[in-house]
Amino acid sequence: MKKFRIAGLILAGIFIVLQFFQPELNRSGLGDNSILAKEKLPEPVAAMLKHSCFDCHSNQTNYPWYDRIAPASWLVAHHVKEGKKQLNFSDWGSKDVIDKITELGKIGDEVKSGNMPIPSYVMIHRDAKLSKEQTEELIAWTVKFSEELLAKEE
Amino acid sequence: MKRFLAFFSMLILGIAFVSFTLSQTGSPSAQMPDNVKAAVDKACFACHNTASQNAKAKEKLDFSTLSGLAKAAQIGKYREIGETIENGEMPPKKFLDNYPDKKLTAEESKLLIKWAEGEVKNLMKK
Repeated sequence: MKKFRIAGLILAGIFIVLQFFQPELNRSGLGDNSILAKEKLPEPVAAMLKHSCFDCHSNQTNYPWYDRIAPASWLVAHHVKEGKKQLNFSDWGSKDVIDKITELGKIGDEVKSGNMPIPSYVMIHRDAKLSKEQTEELIAWTVKFSEELLAKEE
Repeated sequence: MKRFLAFFSMLILGIAFVSFTLSQTGSPSAQMPDNVKAAVDKACFACHNTASQNAKAKEKLDFSTLSGLAKAAQIGKYREIGETIENGEMPPKKFLDNYPDKKLTAEESKLLIKWAEGEVKNLMKK
C-alpha cells in the first residue's frame, strides 16, 4: 500500500514538473495576409474555416485550457506545426493563383474524404465538427471559388 | 490431342479474359506524349483510374476522368501531381516495397514533373 502511495506521489511530481516545460504558443494573430483579410468569403465559409481549420492551419490557435496542460500541449504543438506546414491560411496572400487553386482542390479532397478536420481533434473540440451540409457547402465553395480566381486571372 | 485442344482453348480463353480486363481498365484519357504515358502507366495508372480497387487513390486522382474536370480543378490536380512526385511521395513507399520495379527513375520523375507543370501552364493560357 505504501508502495502505491510513493508511486502515485512520484507520478504527480513528474506531472507537475512537466507543466514547467511548455511549447511556444501559436498566437501571433491571423494577420493581414490571411485568407480572411485578403478575400471576401461567404460568411458561413469564413465561420467554418475559423472553427474547424484555423487552430492548426493559421498563425492563431485557440487553446482551450485542456490544450495547455502537458503532455497534451506538446501533442497540440506538434499538430499545429504539421498543419501549418501543409497549409497556412495566414500566408494566403503570398500564394499565386495556381497555388491558391491547388490548395482549394486539396481542401475539397481532404474534407470530402473525412481526413480533415482530423477526427481526434473533432472528438475533443466539439464545435469544430462539420455537419454533412456544412461539409457539402465547404466543398462547393472550394470549386466555385477556384473557378472565380481563375476567371479573374483571365 | 485432346489434351492439346484443352490447353489451346484455355489459352484462348485466357487471352480473351486479359484483353477484356484491359479494355475495361482503359488508359489515361488525357493526351499525353508517349514517354509520359509510359511512365504514368508504369507507376501511377494502376491505382489512379476509374476501375481501381484503391478507393482512396482514385478519389484523389483519376487519370481516366482528369481531362473532364473543370479547368480550375485540372490545374490544381496537375500542380499536385508535380508536387507529389517532386516530394517523392508517390508512388507510396509501401507500394514500392512490394513492386520495386515500379519506382520512377530520376529521368522519369523529371519528365513527369516537367510535363505536369507544362499542363498547368497550358491550362492557364487557355
